[in-house]
Amino acid sequence: MSVQSRSYRDIGVGRWGPLSFLSTAVLAAVVVVGAVAYSRQFIHGEIVTGLRDWGTAGGAPWGLYISFVVYFIGVSFAGISIAALVRLLRITALEPVTRMAELLTIVSLVLGAFSVLADLGQPLRGITNLFRYARPQSPFFGTFSLVMAGYLFASLVYFYLAGRRDAYLMAQQPSRLQAFYRWWAAGYRDSAAERARHERTSFLLAVAILPLLVTAHSTLGLVFGLMGGRPGWFSALQAPGFVVLAGVSGLGHIAVLAALVRWFIPEARERIGVPTFRLLGIFTMVLGMVYLYFTLIEVLTAGYAGHAQEQELVRLLLLGTYAPYFWGGIVALALAVGLGLAQGLRGRWSIGAVVAMGILVNIAAIAKRLIIVTPSLTHGSLLPYEDGVYVPTWVEVAIIIGLMSLGALVILVFSKLFPVVPLDSEPTS
Amino acid sequence: MPKYAMTIDLSRCMGCRACMVACKVENNTPEGQFWMYVFRLEEGEFPETRLTFLPRPCQHCDNAPCVKVCPVGARYKREDGLVLTDFQRCIGCRYCEVACPYGVNYFHWQSPKKGQYLKWGDDAEVRERAEREVPPWHNPDHDKRYGEERRLTAGAVHYKGVMGKCTFCVHRVEKGLEPACVANCPVRVFEFGDLEDPNSSVSHKLREATRFRLLEDVGTEPRVYYLNGQPPTGEHRQLDAVKGGKGE
Repeated sequence: MSVQSRSYRDIGVGRWGPLSFLSTAVLAAVVVVGAVAYSRQFIHGEIVTGLRDWGTAGGAPWGLYISFVVYFIGVSFAGISIAALVRLLRITALEPVTRMAELLTIVSLVLGAFSVLADLGQPLRGITNLFRYARPQSPFFGTFSLVMAGYLFASLVYFYLAGRRDAYLMAQQPSRLQAFYRWWAAGYRDSAAERARHERTSFLLAVAILPLLVTAHSTLGLVFGLMGGRPGWFSALQAPGFVVLAGVSGLGHIAVLAALVRWFIPEARERIGVPTFRLLGIFTMVLGMVYLYFTLIEVLTAGYAGHAQEQELVRLLLLGTYAPYFWGGIVALALAVGLGLAQGLRGRWSIGAVVAMGILVNIAAIAKRLIIVTPSLTHGSLLPYEDGVYVPTWVEVAIIIGLMSLGALVILVFSKLFPVVPLDSEPTS
Repeated sequence: MPKYAMTIDLSRCMGCRACMVACKVENNTPEGQFWMYVFRLEEGEFPETRLTFLPRPCQHCDNAPCVKVCPVGARYKREDGLVLTDFQRCIGCRYCEVACPYGVNYFHWQSPKKGQYLKWGDDAEVRERAEREVPPWHNPDHDKRYGEERRLTAGAVHYKGVMGKCTFCVHRVEKGLEPACVANCPVRVFEFGDLEDPNSSVSHKLREATRFRLLEDVGTEPRVYYLNGQPPTGEHRQLDAVKGGKGE
């Protein structure tokens, strides 16, 4: 395909094939099921979930929702970290995935916030009170107020600025969305001075968002790590562990998303190739190794020196009720790291193997999020209460799957409205 | 400003759980929720077994983990030491519940189907027998605002989706009455009063008895003192665990 003959439509914008329609319809249907499930909970209260009080009632007051708050916000790590790598370290091979990574950040942050709302007994009050009476002393402040007001806002600004050039280029062609592109470009004309200014602003913004990224994921870890009376949670390793696992799941997610974009938009294949996946694979592998190391130290510390209840929890994780999740996660993560190592040692990376790594690390991340929240609540009592049980109901599962589908739906629709892969440096028409 | 505290004399407690019943009736807590709970504990192997009882109200900690983690300041500590929940500000995130090591928080998972008060007005037979003397089924004291802050803190279930827990019966304390559990104990296990006042019953008790506070090494600084007994250990097994409904 010659440069001259290329139209921006080739990047997938406005091209609705049967596959796209089918995917949209299926995703939308799942979202509707999730919304119906949520309406049950909104009307009847959280009695429709499997959540119950711990202690005498023998349940877990936090479960699937909080696990997925952690998971979704973890996935958001991808966008800004990749943007920062590209801007600060000038790793150009990752450039084609920056837009979808930033989009993933925004979408997953919003899904994380929705999961928080799903967990709240008074969601409408939550939206106002979390800001009106915000207490930075509460670690929860970081997971909602800071993430929404700071991290998400900064990411949106970054996303907007980074997209202005493409919006200008798209606005040059007649289309039904020309007005939208013109609005997004907002007077941007891609002159040398404008480009330099954007480059500088994006760089500074990336530098500014990096500490926000570490803060947001750390405070999420601190939600658990600061609970002195909760065996299995109280640990200085929680915050760094959350940051690292967020990186693993976020980068793994980008690998899967990039492969999907290649599949849906054949023209993107020449842009997103093995060099991009190789880098994603290396970063995922290294962070995965760090996380395996953290897990080892965590289990060793609690199992060797922890008090009785702490040791009981370690036993439950390694051999008891929660062992399938624990070992499932460990095996998935170890397999991913092994896949990365094998490719690295051979010096040949394959897209399929990196995508497999991405799927494996996300299975590991979900498993880990489930066992970080529940076991300490059902089995972590320091008083002689009976052990608890937590089994999620269809409502919780439907809401979470609905949220995932909502995220996929937004990304799919966005990719039809705007180039999900940044356009080539040299514009054509 | 008084400094309220409670003493629980374990050498007197016989595990009758009258305090639990009194609490439920006073605060109209939903089924399966126990703002006051009494552990019946067993240790040792037969025939060398020993029974002990351990009442567990909210500990009204000075360094309360629930107050620290509340993202909106709905859970707060009053100057007189009571740790209370503002039902109008609570967003129902249950962070207080997971932060508390004592398990004293109970969430209102739904609007209650079964209150502890009889719904006199709804029952035709009761209405007929009581003729016009129909008492209110809802304690109006629960709807009043207490303390300098004038916040809605007393009793259970004002709204679904908010947290509830022992209030030391703030609506009674403000009238100069004792909490319901204290007033209803048949053998005077509990004392409630002002630590600042050297002549108060709690001050007297604390001077004369050996004492401990629950989970002292977690650093919560409880305002509930246990007298003449030992803290529970890993050797204790619970007998007659009360579960009831699941917050219905």
